[in-house]
Amino acid sequence: MAGLRRFKLVAIGLLGVLAVEPTSARAVTPEEINQKLKALEDEVRSLRQQLDAVKTNAAPAQAPAPVPAAAPGGAPPDSPQPQPGAQMAPQSPAPTATVTNKDLFGILPSPLEGLKIGMYGEFKFGKVQNPDANGQWQLGADMARIVLMPSYAFTDSIFLYSEIEFEHGGIAGDEDDKSNGAVEVEQAWVDFKINPYFNIRSPGIDLIPIGYTNLYHEPTLFYSVNRPALATGLVPTTWFQPAMSVYGRVVENLNYQVQVSASLEDFGNGIQSRPDNNSVPPFPDGYAPGISGKDALVFAKAPNGDFRQLSDVLATAGRLSYTPPFIPGFAGSTSLYYTPSTTPRGAYSDTGLPLRRSSLTMVDTEFRYRVPETGFEFRAEYVGVFFGNNKNLRANNDSDPTNNVGSAMYGMSGEIAYHIPLGRALGAEWEAVPFYRYTYQNLQTGGYRGSDLNAPTGSGQQQIQTMGLAVFPTKKLVLKLTYQNVIDQQRGGCKCDYVLGGVGFYFN
Amino acid sequence: MGQRSAADWARLAAPAAIVMTIAPASYANRYLTVEEAQHLAFPEASQFVEAHVVFRPADIAAIERLSGQRVHTRGQQVWKALVAGRLAGFFVVDYVIGKHLVIDYSVALALDGRVKAVEILEYREAYGSEITSHHWLHQFDGKTGRDPVAIDKDIRNISGATLSSQHVTEGVKRILAFYETCLR
Repeated sequence: MAGLRRFKLVAIGLLGVLAVEPTSARAVTPEEINQKLKALEDEVRSLRQQLDAVKTNAAPAQAPAPVPAAAPGGAPPDSPQPQPGAQMAPQSPAPTATVTNKDLFGILPSPLEGLKIGMYGEFKFGKVQNPDANGQWQLGADMARIVLMPSYAFTDSIFLYSEIEFEHGGIAGDEDDKSNGAVEVEQAWVDFKINPYFNIRSPGIDLIPIGYTNLYHEPTLFYSVNRPALATGLVPTTWFQPAMSVYGRVVENLNYQVQVSASLEDFGNGIQSRPDNNSVPPFPDGYAPGISGKDALVFAKAPNGDFRQLSDVLATAGRLSYTPPFIPGFAGSTSLYYTPSTTPRGAYSDTGLPLRRSSLTMVDTEFRYRVPETGFEFRAEYVGVFFGNNKNLRANNDSDPTNNVGSAMYGMSGEIAYHIPLGRALGAEWEAVPFYRYTYQNLQTGGYRGSDLNAPTGSGQQQIQTMGLAVFPTKKLVLKLTYQNVIDQQRGGCKCDYVLGGVGFYFN
Repeated sequence: MGQRSAADWARLAAPAAIVMTIAPASYANRYLTVEEAQHLAFPEASQFVEAHVVFRPADIAAIERLSGQRVHTRGQQVWKALVAGRLAGFFVVDYVIGKHLVIDYSVALALDGRVKAVEILEYREAYGSEITSHHWLHQFDGKTGRDPVAIDKDIRNISGATLSSQHVTEGVKRILAFYETCLR
């Protein structure tokens, strides 16, 4: 019985071999082997792609995870047929597409999920009239700034943002380095995203929400080489301070931000001039004003580190930004800043009298309007600064009769630009934007009070004409040429014109 | 002193309490869910069938050529909108980077490839949420792969939301090229 079973097995095996062998011998041609290998390769590639899709789960940490909404059921009779080779997997469990992220400078994938680093910067060169050299035109250059922008998403709703800025070529101590710039933390805060209407920005270093340029000052967002004049004195950009805020949407097309920050302070010396008691230098050493009729608020920013602020009060700022739908292409904002006092601890006049509180209120309103279907763009801005008690300002009590401050300062500007497409070259869509901007500002209005003699030179009343050309090879890169002429009321004029070229970039 | 301290603490805690009350009811800055956007775009649809298109290298090359945008994905998530079992259009969920964070958005396409609707699903950036305005998003309606779909050409920029408006526009242009390459 066992022998018969063994015979049957051997017979079946032989029959199988006989049955298969001729077929196999006939089918195995090199072409067929290649075809089979190709099919296998395709299958492996497809499986690998699907595996990658599952592994990387579609996106960086903050990537969306859309809710799968597919209803069960097969493809309908008229379902679309993808192009040959495009593999369409109905009801695929993969949530979204697989992504090769470029979170480091838009070039490389980030080694840490959620970490992203961008950069912007600007380089300037040309001739500048030096008022301290009797208006001599001097050739020069400035590596104005390189700003790194690391950000990190802790979760989909908690987000760290920072900007680290290297100004004027950075800093270095050795004689041969010849660098006298700055390295600054320009922004560092954490956002807690609650809902579209209410979000919380943690205490940190943040921009004061005044006007447009202080919040949006990347060089690709304005056309002159230097920032607009109103943003270099009346609004002391880049104005960043210890602060916290809330922000969100009021209604569609109307957003708000309310911020509490370290107050401006009427102390114009550097950080090293603050004695250990964290006050102004003792009388009668004297000190420079932070607010003056010559420099507006440029020197009034509080320090951002080491508990070296000289004020015990906080400032409050609020900004409404709007894009009214009935004026397509229009965007504007209105901002308000208020501090109960800018007077630093221990402030005094050169006569030895203590200086008491003086509040400061700043109002800014501006718009930008790109006229639809045309190349025209218009911008305008008004800034007003009002002092509560200007007899307590240091500039009015520092024995200098030329830098006094009245009851207010203000300025306004209007700008026209025209966008001209230049066509495609070097892989980019080029655009040229010629522009003209007129600015008037008065830093020495009437209403002076204080212990100084009052003999303003007129340098604070300026008419500024700025014109030039900005060429954008891409939206992220700009080449600029600007001429600026300043007329003020002082004898001999300002002697501070310039002709500058610039290169600016921004990417993330 | 004790009473005053309690009042002070209550004042300090009030904003946090409000936030904690609001927070559980909300989810980051979500404006629409995928389902909501689908039904807004195809209110007559009875079914949405999800599919995942995996790109071949040739598809990526074609999409990049047609859109002028780099393709950083290896596929695209798409739903077929069905009305009584018949195909009525496509619904694509995609994302772009705004300034630093991801913007989730959707593009609904008619069968002939025209844009029916673009919606922002979730916007996370601190600035630039003006692009969620329907007046701005309606500019995309009716656009096809043959239109420029470019800022300052047939789509307005939003000053103050420059990067977000630019990147969403580029994303829509890429989705239209995806339709021409893989769905048409």
